[in-house]
Amino acid sequence: MPKLPGGPLARKPLHFIWIADCSGSMGYGGKIQSLNFAIRNALPAMQEVAKENPNAEVMVRAVKFSSGASWHVANPVPVEQFKWDDLEATTGVTEMGKALQLVAAQLDQTIIPQRALPPVLVLISDGQPTDDVSAGLRDLMAQPLGEKAVRIAIAIGEDADTSVLQRFIGHPELEPLQANNAQSLVRFIRWVSTSVLKEVSSPEIPGPNPNPEEKRPFPPLPDPTTGPDEDDW
Amino acid sequence: MNQLLNPGEKVQTLSTEFSYEVEAFLGGGGQGEVYRARPVARKGAHTPVALKWFFPHYVRLDPNLRARLEHAIDTGPPSDRFLWPQALLHGGVKQSDFGYVMPLREERFVGITDLVTRQTVPTFRALVTAGFELAHNYLQLHARGFCYRDISFGNVFFDPASGEIQICDNDNVSVDDGRGGAIRGTPRFMAPEIVRGEVGPDTQTDLFSLAVLLFYMLINHHPLEGAKETQISIFDPQAMTYLYGTSPQFIFDPDDESNRPLPGYHDNALALWDLYPHFVQDLFVLTFTEGLHYPEKRARENQWSNALIRLRDSIFYCQHCSNENFYSPGALDDSDGNSSVCWSCKSSHRLPPRMRIDGKDVVMLNHDTLLYPHHFNAEHSFNFEVPVAEVAQHPKNPRVWGLRNHSEEKWTSQNAAGEVKDVEPGKTVTLSSGLRIQFGSREGEVRL
Repeated sequence: MPKLPGGPLARKPLHFIWIADCSGSMGYGGKIQSLNFAIRNALPAMQEVAKENPNAEVMVRAVKFSSGASWHVANPVPVEQFKWDDLEATTGVTEMGKALQLVAAQLDQTIIPQRALPPVLVLISDGQPTDDVSAGLRDLMAQPLGEKAVRIAIAIGEDADTSVLQRFIGHPELEPLQANNAQSLVRFIRWVSTSVLKEVSSPEIPGPNPNPEEKRPFPPLPDPTTGPDEDDW
Repeated sequence: MNQLLNPGEKVQTLSTEFSYEVEAFLGGGGQGEVYRARPVARKGAHTPVALKWFFPHYVRLDPNLRARLEHAIDTGPPSDRFLWPQALLHGGVKQSDFGYVMPLREERFVGITDLVTRQTVPTFRALVTAGFELAHNYLQLHARGFCYRDISFGNVFFDPASGEIQICDNDNVSVDDGRGGAIRGTPRFMAPEIVRGEVGPDTQTDLFSLAVLLFYMLINHHPLEGAKETQISIFDPQAMTYLYGTSPQFIFDPDDESNRPLPGYHDNALALWDLYPHFVQDLFVLTFTEGLHYPEKRARENQWSNALIRLRDSIFYCQHCSNENFYSPGALDDSDGNSSVCWSCKSSHRLPPRMRIDGKDVVMLNHDTLLYPHHFNAEHSFNFEVPVAEVAQHPKNPRVWGLRNHSEEKWTSQNAAGEVKDVEPGKTVTLSSGLRIQFGSREGEVRL
């Protein structure tokens, strides 16, 4: 067996956190099932992207919220070992603020070691928050890792509160992704799992770009497209 | 998984209306997706090919793409190491939808990502050969007036057994006229002047990326990540601009120790750098000190090719643990031929027989050493196709070693006592200290 000195390339952690709405309305129209399918479906491509970016150690977990919020996957799992356990819709309300507080507490740099890549936070919701979202956002932004995180929001159906999701994103050039059917949701989840993950692992570095109009905050979005209207949520 | 084409779908070349049938999805990236495909009904042409199909949104972002590909196809590959575009394709539905075919990568090739993660552990010989092949083949590309624009982990593959390489993603390759495509490069590989947004990729920035890739391959670390990066807590784009663009500092800058690698953070850099002879270190120093600020100072492809072949010729096996070590010039002059210790077992080096050619480069004569036209003839630099000499053990006395002439020319040898002998093709000359061998225009001197 050949032998070389040293070891694998040193990696920096990249925390990827799904923050998923499991309120009562997610139980209608197959939304929660579509979300489970979309995340599971995107996982192989996500693992492939992680493999191609050996500088980043991608760690995945998930928060669910309805009446209250809790960790669905509490301990960060290396993406190559990550498996998706189905979320279930509850009969509860939409306490999004509590979910953000839960995430904020775990992004504390006394808990996450120094020297990380910016985390990716993906908030998925189909409704209006029923608790104090502002308190959750404030806690999140108070953490340097929360503030520097790449925050993406997916609105499921027309009833989602896009203004709250926009505040979560906190970036004027990126709007919440509007998923009005299962097909769009699959595409958006795949986009965050691959293109966004790649962009954070290996970011297109900004500079005094001579053509500022060419500069995009994120990789090109997939077209939401698509299915016949009757499938819409 | 795939979004653009489906198995069984047929696409046609633009020029000859010749068709390919899509067989399987292979992978996707930011520009498009790659499939395995097979020519349809063409006698003798059943070899599968790789077929790349572009995302419509990418085609809109990169208006020069089609012209660039047409030019590349017309010009042809710089060498057989490039998986070069062969023909443009269209699907017929929308004019804007298109792709191209290229040779399919063979399965024996693995990515540089497998190397840096140590999922693949080649020999130093294969690793250094891969480094040489990179420099040598990028020279062929640059010599044709092209620049590659995106030398990085993702688009180079190598055979861990031999070190042979294949260079993929040649659709960013463009004539080095400052226009090119939408690609600025890959973070950590981009030259500082690109990171700062001052210029786009060109041949000089390719030289920077090539040196970063070689540093990753040989040292398994980034040349600018030392003490300074340990002060950064969140690696956002601003931090990376600072580290790789506005404030770059080589970790082994001989004149500035402020960014040295730190134990516990940069262990590979500490473990590997000192193994390499100065003629390799010097090229990294040149590129990552003066070359950070003055692109014309960066080590050129030919300097890398020469240094890496010299490095490969410096490999010898530890007599205790048989791991590969590098001979550093200077040690040959030591009275006992022992310079330092093996990186693996720490036992003192005992050098094998070795030969200095034309008073310059030294080749270790290991039990398995082969010599090529490159070594014997200045007109045949980098010709490693057919060996012209090999080290051979005496059939009756295993302690006696010789050099067998596999060339078609007669050699002349003279031992330390002054005895002159001809070494006909197929014959072997016994190695002895002070032996001189005349191979055509060059002379080798042996030390034991």
